[in-house]
Amino acid sequence: MHTIPAIFRSKRVLTRVASTAVLGMLLTGCTTTTPTTSTGSTPSATATSTAAATTTANAGTVVAATEAFTATLTSDQLASLSQEYTLENAEAWSNLPQAMSRNRVGLQLSELDDSQLTALGTLLQAVTGTTAGEGYDEIQQLLNADDYIADNGGSSDYGSGNYFIAFLGTPSDAGTWELQFGGHHFAVANTYTDGVLAGATPSFRGVEPFGTFEQDGETNAPLESEQVALAAVLASLSTDQLASAELDSVYQDLVLTPGNDWAFPTASEGVQVGSLSADQKALVLAAIATYVNDINDADAATILAKYESELDETYVSYSGGTSLTEQDDYIRIDGPSVWIEFSMQRGIVLSGNHPHSVWRDSITDYGGTQQ
Amino acid sequence: MKKLAVAALTVLVGVAALILGVAAPASAHVLPTSTVVLEVHGDDLDAQLRIPVTDLVSASGIGLGDGTAAELAAHDDEVAAYIARHFEPESETGGAWTVSVDNLAITTAEESGTSEYQAITAAAHLVPPDGADPRVFDLGYDVVVHRIVTHAVLVSVRNDWSGGVVESARGLGTIRLDTVTGEIAPLAVDLGDASAWTGFTSMVSLGISHIREGVDHQLFLLTLLLPAPLLVAAGRWAGPTVPRTAVTRIASITVAFTIGHSVTLALGALGLPAPQQLVEVLIAVSILLAAVHAIRPIFAGREVVVAAGFGLVHGLAFSATLAGLHLSGGQFVLSLFGFNLGIELMQLVVVALVLPPLIVLARTWAYRPLRLVAAGATGVAAIGWLAQRVGFGNPIASAADGIEGVSLYLVVMLWIAALIVFGLDQHWRFLKGPLSPDARFSTRHPVSLGIERLEQNPGQPVERAPHPSNV
Repeated sequence: MHTIPAIFRSKRVLTRVASTAVLGMLLTGCTTTTPTTSTGSTPSATATSTAAATTTANAGTVVAATEAFTATLTSDQLASLSQEYTLENAEAWSNLPQAMSRNRVGLQLSELDDSQLTALGTLLQAVTGTTAGEGYDEIQQLLNADDYIADNGGSSDYGSGNYFIAFLGTPSDAGTWELQFGGHHFAVANTYTDGVLAGATPSFRGVEPFGTFEQDGETNAPLESEQVALAAVLASLSTDQLASAELDSVYQDLVLTPGNDWAFPTASEGVQVGSLSADQKALVLAAIATYVNDINDADAATILAKYESELDETYVSYSGGTSLTEQDDYIRIDGPSVWIEFSMQRGIVLSGNHPHSVWRDSITDYGGTQQ
Repeated sequence: MKKLAVAALTVLVGVAALILGVAAPASAHVLPTSTVVLEVHGDDLDAQLRIPVTDLVSASGIGLGDGTAAELAAHDDEVAAYIARHFEPESETGGAWTVSVDNLAITTAEESGTSEYQAITAAAHLVPPDGADPRVFDLGYDVVVHRIVTHAVLVSVRNDWSGGVVESARGLGTIRLDTVTGEIAPLAVDLGDASAWTGFTSMVSLGISHIREGVDHQLFLLTLLLPAPLLVAAGRWAGPTVPRTAVTRIASITVAFTIGHSVTLALGALGLPAPQQLVEVLIAVSILLAAVHAIRPIFAGREVVVAAGFGLVHGLAFSATLAGLHLSGGQFVLSLFGFNLGIELMQLVVVALVLPPLIVLARTWAYRPLRLVAAGATGVAAIGWLAQRVGFGNPIASAADGIEGVSLYLVVMLWIAALIVFGLDQHWRFLKGPLSPDARFSTRHPVSLGIERLEQNPGQPVERAPHPSNV
């Protein structure tokens, strides 16, 4: 079993300390709408719900990082990495372990040596956020989680060697291409058009085991921030608000699972965020931020500003218990463009419940590519 | 005429698909699913249901505890009533079907990635209203899924003889939440046209697949063929009439086998008790005898009678398949004919694939070791099966069961070997030039030149089949 070298995880502690302040600020209701580190974001694009959440914050940087990575690869590896930009390839992600996946495309991490993995780590850092427990830190913890499954009763279908990196189309500041990175319980999809992030979804996270666990000397608790932030939303709701938020049906899994693309419900269910207090709204936005902050900080700020502008038209609904720790506990945030689901399920390889979660965007999923 | 062409095409496609081992892709799903499997009998249907216990409990509110058989027995009326409330088929015109649910049981199930779970199985009998088309209806099934909207119900049809589905399942669709509308979309079932012709052709395919998948039947047939070209070789002395004699001989062996298995196939399918274990043991014995015969003739000249006898035994094994389809009289006759036709066609394919290289190789020194090794290996496999079928499981039998996929490669290797031998033979003839007048045998058949050369070299063993009159 080939695992990611320690260097792939080197920034975890630093990023955790550095960005606790950001999370704290969001949780107290002081939401950031102006990016502090941007190199030219386009806030005007966030004004309407139909416009794509786009930013030029990272233009050039990502392409440079892709080139640094590809420079370390052999021609065979490069051939696996480089895929056509088609919706079929973009939809070829899965939340299932490798043996059950729907034919992931790209280059498998078990094919990479340590220096190539380091270059990949640098690339992933360029496209992901620095918030503790989110972004790059979360990626490392989720890879650790899959290694943990592999070491504790899972088959060789689990483990960080079973993740794939793919470039759909050619990384460039002109035209459209997608950076795809994923494996079991995990999907990152960043679509760039003319050097601008045109879509950061579908974005899937799940984790088994859920809760704190040790792996390779690291303490991990991925998706805990998501679960805590979402449970805080439900905890803040009054009895009446909870009654409007509760769904009639039982949800054992996500609704918009891999393969169920462009199938957003036409009607929203639950309690409308516009009817909530300012503090409650801030909690909803903070929960959304635990997903959006997986994207690099400047792009995340832009996307979050858009979701904030749509917050009053956003709905929160849930099913099962409000703690989001028991089997069949389920919560959904459904806005004019944002779509987040979190579902607590029984264990598969290990005992104890484990969550699946997806962030989609009804406008910019797959960069807006529908066919 | 057109139907004949279609039949020929169907058979060809069927043979190609079976040889290539075409398999349907599996769909992955980590949550346990429910299944509904329809079985069509002319005017009414049965549905076999499988429902995960925890989901049924969660959706119905019926307390089944850990899902033990005793707990189900204490609540079976409630469970049957719950299922019936959520299983209401309707004809296109709106007429409600009658549904009765029984045979409730607990079973252990497992799907890809789910690990083992407890499931309830049940049988539902579905009767359409008078005059309604039993093949086109709205399934009206939303057990579990009415409440657990992330649940999925996979619906398929199995044993729809006149619709061409026998001993296999055809997916009809999945009942699940339509995420756009938020509704559970009802599943419209259209089983398609039904005809005796469709039933017949599907039985032909079934016959083909029974030979294709039956390693023991294949081996039996191949072992019977192994000494056949030696009779041809023996006849070689008599000149050009030899091939016709050989073909007649093989044809009569095949026909005798066919007549034998048709008789018992019909009797068995009509209800003649056929103790399966005894039949399987006798089949292993027949393979063993065929292997011994290929090594040293023990029933030369009586092959036709022996083949007919073996056919009687093999037919009993096939009959279990037909009996399981619960067919009506007319369907049964057509099925018997179609099933037999499929078996014959596949046997014909095996003969056509294997006999030519055997005939070529039989004229070389290589055939004796080939025949002995092949017959020996078959004999060992037969002994393994024999032991397994009387109750002593063993690795030889398991290995023999697993050689299905290998047979195609064996045929390819046989052809390559035969082509090489033939090529060398031609090459040798070219080097040697016109035949020498002192050749010991008539050499009107070009491939016999190789053996002539070997005959002239006393150091090489030469295969000679015993003449029937010597036995």
